[in-house]
Amino acid sequence: MMQSFTNIMYVCQQSEFIFMQNTALDYLPIVLTFIVAAGFVVLVMFVTHWLGPKRRSKIKDDVFECGIEAQGNARIPFSIKYFLVAILFVLFDVEVIFMYPWAVNFKDLGVRGFIEMGLFIAFFLVGFYYIMKKGALKWE
Amino acid sequence: MKTLYILTALGVIAMLAELFRFKKFLLPIVLIGLMGAIASSVRDWNTNIHYYNYMMTFDNYAILFTIVLCVTAFLWFMMSKDFFGSESSKTDHYALVLFALCGAMLMVSYSNMVMLFLGIEILSIPMYVLAGSNKDSLASNEASLKYFLMGAFATGFLLFGITMIYGATGTFDLRSIGITLKSPELIQVWRGAGGTTLLYSGILMMLIGLCFKISAVPFHFWAPDVYTGAPTPVTAFMATIVKTAAFAAFLRLFITCFSGLGNVWMNTIWVLAGLTILLGNITAVYQTSVKRMLAYSSISHAGYMLLAILAMNNHSVGSVLFYAAAYSVATIGAFTVLSIIEKNFELASVDSFSGLAKKNPLLAFAMTISMLSLAGIPPLAGFFGKYYIFTSALQSGYVWLVLIAVLGSLIGVYYYFRMIIKMFSSGTGEVTNIEISTLQKIVLVITILLSILLGIFPDMVISLL
Repeated sequence: MMQSFTNIMYVCQQSEFIFMQNTALDYLPIVLTFIVAAGFVVLVMFVTHWLGPKRRSKIKDDVFECGIEAQGNARIPFSIKYFLVAILFVLFDVEVIFMYPWAVNFKDLGVRGFIEMGLFIAFFLVGFYYIMKKGALKWE
Repeated sequence: MKTLYILTALGVIAMLAELFRFKKFLLPIVLIGLMGAIASSVRDWNTNIHYYNYMMTFDNYAILFTIVLCVTAFLWFMMSKDFFGSESSKTDHYALVLFALCGAMLMVSYSNMVMLFLGIEILSIPMYVLAGSNKDSLASNEASLKYFLMGAFATGFLLFGITMIYGATGTFDLRSIGITLKSPELIQVWRGAGGTTLLYSGILMMLIGLCFKISAVPFHFWAPDVYTGAPTPVTAFMATIVKTAAFAAFLRLFITCFSGLGNVWMNTIWVLAGLTILLGNITAVYQTSVKRMLAYSSISHAGYMLLAILAMNNHSVGSVLFYAAAYSVATIGAFTVLSIIEKNFELASVDSFSGLAKKNPLLAFAMTISMLSLAGIPPLAGFFGKYYIFTSALQSGYVWLVLIAVLGSLIGVYYYFRMIIKMFSSGTGEVTNIEISTLQKIVLVITILLSILLGIFPDMVISLL
């Protein structure tokens, strides 16, 4: 009995939500949110088609590209380099996101946090150096 | 814990090796680094230190599995030297393998569900790339894509399971979840509130995700194609290190967390194990390609190891560890021989091995020992692996499942012996010129010795846990 009591105490310390008695019913609001979100999209699409007047002309149906007249086909092969740069951008972008929580807790994390973050930045600088030397950013 | 730092640093060093032009010294550096990693994990023996707010526990369980992983990786780097030696992007492959090894280490030492997920991802993403590392081969590209798509789905299942368990228990910490699920009072409270639905579906979802990683039967469809399509050394890596890490993770999760709720998942694993053993072995009989046969045999070995998880007694950890070690050593040996033979044939069939014993006794002997160990013939390591697993399953009363497993092993003997008979038959011998590098010879000798030594002194490993 004593053993199981201490066990429960440990659980209580580790997880404060344990006695909230979560049931599947508690997640009903989330399901409702999903339904409302999806319903809103469907409703708006339907309403715009229904309410909006339809006036077509050749110039109106043209592709709008910042006021410049569109030239040629949009579906042409383009250099794969663009894809590579985009992927690398996403990678480094995600890494930069980790700096936000650090910036918010900068004082609390102290010197240790600073060292850890420095190590993290050093790691991704190594990655940056690597892709530069590998020629991933050369646009030729 | 220093082991993880060493492995990460090795990965970074391998990545930069080409840029700073010390590519030639990379293999020695990696091998010395791996030895350092093994030494540093031996030094942590019996310390049981927790890291990062109980995110990781480097206990004896983790240390033993880390040592098995590092030794296998050591052999792997020696056997694969020739394969990656000719390519310009060798350093990248080395770096990917070392990062995958870091992921495998996380998977054996996690004590938090988040770390389990991170470990699986760090292990899997390099594997997706490595499976497609033979860029000119269509099969390799297909393997990579297939592995990636299926792996992504399986990870989705695993993650969904983790969320559900978090929803039910309010924690990611393995120990707290385990204690919660073991206390009847709390379960009773939940039953009343109807909260067990979340928990049970969470457990089954995690089971699906992990069964994919170990390629247990209804989730095994990716394995034969990926194993066949990927370059042979990469297949060797997948069949040994990935499988060992996945089993260590599986066992740790179910022993610390879900052992209190056996009635929820034990029947499922019973059926999975039976199907895996039977289907893996029976399909392996019909394969002509040796690589595909080894893929199916690796599926069936996953079935045997599932028995130990099902047994859930104090012998199961030791038996899984021993089985993983014996299986990894024998598989590395078999794949080393296969990769040497494959220099002559694109897809080595069983017939390509005919008359090998006359042409090259060392190769034939190493392959024979590996096959006998995989088949479970005494006194080799594989026999004692099976013996420990079957006894631990029998102690927990799974008589019928053990009978199925023994039947599966008997079927296994057929296709393993077919290889041996082919090698010793006086066939015409299609193999013309065989070149074995010194490193590969060393690997073959080490695998032979380890298979025999582990078989003669199984207590060395078993008594550690």
